[in-house]
Formats: sequence, C-alpha cells, structure tokens
Amino acid sequence: MDTIARINQEINGTTSTKKRMKKTLIYMILILFAIVNVYPIVWMAINSFKSEEEFAVNQFGFPKEFVFQNYVDAWHTANLGVLFKNSIFVCITATILTVLIGALASYFLARFTFKMNKFLYTFFIFGLLIPIHATLVPMFILMRNLGLLDTPITLLFPYMAFHLPITIFILTSFIKAFPKDIEESAIMDGAGIFRIFWSIILPMSRPALATVVILNFIYNWNEFSFALVLINDPTLQTLPLGLANFAGQFTTNYGAQMAGLTMSLIPIIIFYLFLEKEIVNGMTSGAVKG
Amino acid sequence: MVHHDRLPNDGNLSWIGGKTVHLVKRRKIAIILGILPALLVYVVFAIYPIIQSFYYSLMDWDGFSEMTFVGMDNFSKLFQDPLFWNSVKNNLFVVIASVLGQVPIALFIALLLNRKLKGVKIFRTIGFLPVVLSTVVISLTWSLIYNSKYGMLNEFLRAIGLDSLAQNWLGDTKWAMMAVLVTVIWQFIGLYLIIFLAALQNIPVEIVEAAKIDGASEWTTTWKITLPMIWDTVIVAVILCISGSLKTFDLIYVMTHGGPAHSTDVMALYMFNETFNNLQYGYGSAVSVFIFFFSLILIFIITKLLGKKMI
Repeated sequence: MDTIARINQEINGTTSTKKRMKKTLIYMILILFAIVNVYPIVWMAINSFKSEEEFAVNQFGFPKEFVFQNYVDAWHTANLGVLFKNSIFVCITATILTVLIGALASYFLARFTFKMNKFLYTFFIFGLLIPIHATLVPMFILMRNLGLLDTPITLLFPYMAFHLPITIFILTSFIKAFPKDIEESAIMDGAGIFRIFWSIILPMSRPALATVVILNFIYNWNEFSFALVLINDPTLQTLPLGLANFAGQFTTNYGAQMAGLTMSLIPIIIFYLFLEKEIVNGMTSGAVKG
Repeated sequence: MVHHDRLPNDGNLSWIGGKTVHLVKRRKIAIILGILPALLVYVVFAIYPIIQSFYYSLMDWDGFSEMTFVGMDNFSKLFQDPLFWNSVKNNLFVVIASVLGQVPIALFIALLLNRKLKGVKIFRTIGFLPVVLSTVVISLTWSLIYNSKYGMLNEFLRAIGLDSLAQNWLGDTKWAMMAVLVTVIWQFIGLYLIIFLAALQNIPVEIVEAAKIDGASEWTTTWKITLPMIWDTVIVAVILCISGSLKTFDLIYVMTHGGPAHSTDVMALYMFNETFNNLQYGYGSAVSVFIFFFSLILIFIITKLLGKKMI
C-alpha cells in the first residue's frame, strides 16, 4: 500500500516537473518568436531617438538622451506632411468609392436573377487571379494615353479596379444569405430598388462592409508598385513611395530614416491595436478568399 | 434559389399588362445602372490593360515613336535571354522559401499557441503585426538591419565576438538572396499563423479529450488527429503562399533593386527595368504577358494537384 502510494506520488511528481519544463520550453519558443517578430521595429523606433554618434556606439541600449532632431530632419526632408496628406486622400477616396460601387453591384448580383448574372459574377471574381504586377506596364501606357499620369486622382482607378473583386466577393456572399423576404414589405410600401439598397441592404451588411472597408484601406495605404509607376511628381507621392525615395536619397542619414519610418508606422499601429479583431478577420478572410 | 426574379406582387399586377411591362423594364434599367459603375472601372482599369499588353507584346516600341509589328520576336528574344531565366529561377526560389519557411513555422507556433496559456492574445497580436505594415517600411527597416556598417545584424555579431561572420548582406551576391528571403518569410508568418489558429480552434474539444483519456501523448494526438483535421487549411495556406510569393516585387525593388549583379532579380523587376530603364515597351509587355500566364498556369496546376477549386 505504502510503496504504491509512494510510486504514485513519484510518478505524479515527475509528470508535473515534466509538465512544467514543457510549459517553460513552450514559453521560451513563443517569446523568441515574439522578439524576432517585433524587435526589428522596436530597434528602429528606439534608435530613431539617438544622435548619430550614439547610434554608432550604442545600438542595443536605450538612448542616453532623447534627440528629436532626427524627427525634425525627416519631417522636412522627406516632406512627410505632404506624403501623409496624399496617402490619406487617395486611401479614403478609393476605399469609399470601391465599397460603394462594389456594394451596389453586389446587391444586384446577390438578389436579382438575370441572364448575365453568373457570368458577371465569375468575371469579377476572376480579377482575384490577375497578378497585379503583370499589369504595371500596360497600366502605365493606358494612363498615359488617358492623360492620367501624375494627377491627384491617378491612383484611384487602379486601386478601385483591383480591389473590386475581393469587395464584391465578400459582399455578395454576405448579401445572398439575407432571408428572401426582407425587401418584400418595402416593395409593398412602394420603395424603389435603390431606396431598398440604401435603407435596408446597406445597414444590414454592416459587418461585411466593415471587413471590406478595412481591407481596402490597408491595401491602399500600403500600395507601392502602382504609385511607383504612375506617380512622379513629389507633391503627389503617397507615403510608401515617398519613403522609398527618401531612403534612396539619404542613405547615410540613418537617424532621419529611422525617424521617418517610425512616424509612418505610428498611425497604422494605433489603428491595428484599436481594431485588431476586425483587421485580423478582414485580412485573413481577404487572403483566404482572394 | 428564390431570388427576386419578379417583384413579389407581380401576380396581382399581371392583369394590368402595361404596368408589369413597365416594372420589368424599370427593373432591367436598375440592374444595368447598379452594376455598370463597378463593371466599367473593372473592365477599363483591370481587364483592358491585360488585353492591351497582348497587343503591345507583338510590337517593337520604345514607348514614344511609331510601333512596328514584329510578331513573336519579343518572345523568342525573351526565351533566349539568360538574365530572364535567372529572374524566373529567383522567383521560384522566393516561392519555395516562402512555402517551406512560412507554412511550417506558422503551423508550429500555432500548435504551441493552441492551448491554455497565459498571454496567448499578446502573442497573437505581436505575431500578426508585420502583416499589417507596408512592404516598403518593412523593406527599409530590414535594409537598415542588414546595413554592412551600422546594421543591427553585424553589430550583434560583433557584440558576441563573431566579427568574422559580419557581411555586407545585401551587397554580396552570395548573401543578398538569402537576406531577402529571410525578410520575405518574416513578413507573412503571422498571416498563416492566424489562419492555422482559426482552423485549430474549430476542432471539437471532445475529440482531443477522448484521445487524451485513451492515453495518447500530445505528440501522437498532434500527428494523428490535429494535423489531419486541419490539413485542408494547410493546403489552402500553401496555395496562398505560392500565389502571394509569385507577386514579390515591392520588397526586392526597395531592398536590392534586383542586385547585386542580378542575384535577386525576379520576373516583375526584370520587366520593370527592361520597360522603364531600357525603354522597351513592346518587350516589357511580352514579359508581362509571360508573368500573367505563368502565374495563372502555376496556380492552376497546384490547385489541381492539391485537389482544390481555383475560384
């Protein structure tokens, strides 16, 4: 009896140490993963506050004194104010337009039967397969022929065209799932088709609309290749394009580079921390379906 | 399939023939008006450029003077250019490194996170963070890390006494590709991590519990139960990873511009340089036609091989 109890105890003892060791090991791996993931950004942010002399000798510690000169330099030489303004304008306008015309098309594709319905839907969804970078050259030629190179609205067109497929895909499948009789009473009341869209379908689609708004916003905010090919004028450049040019020109001013990059990260990181759940859901569903 | 083929009160109206016809017509106009804006933007700015590139790919054109028709010359020139095949090879490197790097690491971390642990949420938040950031910012940050003089990587190697390992990471043909690939992998692990976690959380708890009661170790449950149950998701992730990494352009453009000595050149960069630096718009269009079909065919083959639907 006694021995059995002792053996039992011993077994329990070893399993619980084993368990604890396993847990520690798991935590160590996860912490290592987290450090690898976030340290490049943190390293840059911390060093952006160091003077050039300090950066050369002390990269891994906190700054002995915080120097804001890098930020002043970056703001002026990279013209960050203009870049932010351009990015915000392009991003918000393209997002609103894409979601609006995308939602309207989705409504008709989801709730009306007509001859071309299936074809049109497949045609839109085909856009998900188009490799965007394969269109850079013809897009440049097209925009030049249209006289749309280097204008404030240039980027709106490719951004809308290439994000309509995912927008329509997500919204159509969402609107299709509404019960079939939701519009009936409205029609009885004599509401027109567009009125139904505006005051019934759109409000009911709110969760899916949130997903596509976030998706469009982040894609547009981060987009680089179309901006690179279509925009030359420094006063019209978006943030990614301007930062790439800035870093290319000021290769030796590390402090200002890091300050500029850190500033450009702040809004998106705040946005991410506040809307993490929606962003993660939006981007994963956008990727899986895309 | 009960869509609103007819307006619900059609029946009551059928006796006023004129009114029904009027309604049907109005409905038709509404459909056209509703779909047209999206269709127009999509056709003009996404479909038309591709069709146009087929046309330009048959031309010799510097982008400004008259075009001359050269038939398939651009393509035969393309297939004979070793620099082009070099860019195809590098592109495939990126694809393979992404699949073999991102998917297993993401899966491993997801399996570790899929249990009762304190701080799971924080690890998720940190894990996904790089996915949200712009490729340009990521590329510039990593360029600073790889910087031969002041970069964090070399500083770190020197700090731990491995001075001999310090390299000019992005400036050396031996290391540039590897350095770029590390960044590529780093950028998207989080996306697959979250996709895998979502799949893992859909596995019914009872199944895993039952296996535990039967005395199966965690190792066995993972291999015999968990992984088979999320295998579909793993395959979706592999497909995503392939189609995503085929698109690599921004990152390499910013980090190395394809250099040094074309060691990190990929198809899209080759196309970009031939078109805009060497002013060969016809030839560049031929490359973009190639990329278009190459991507579609590769994704088609892989989705077929892995038994998934393409759209």
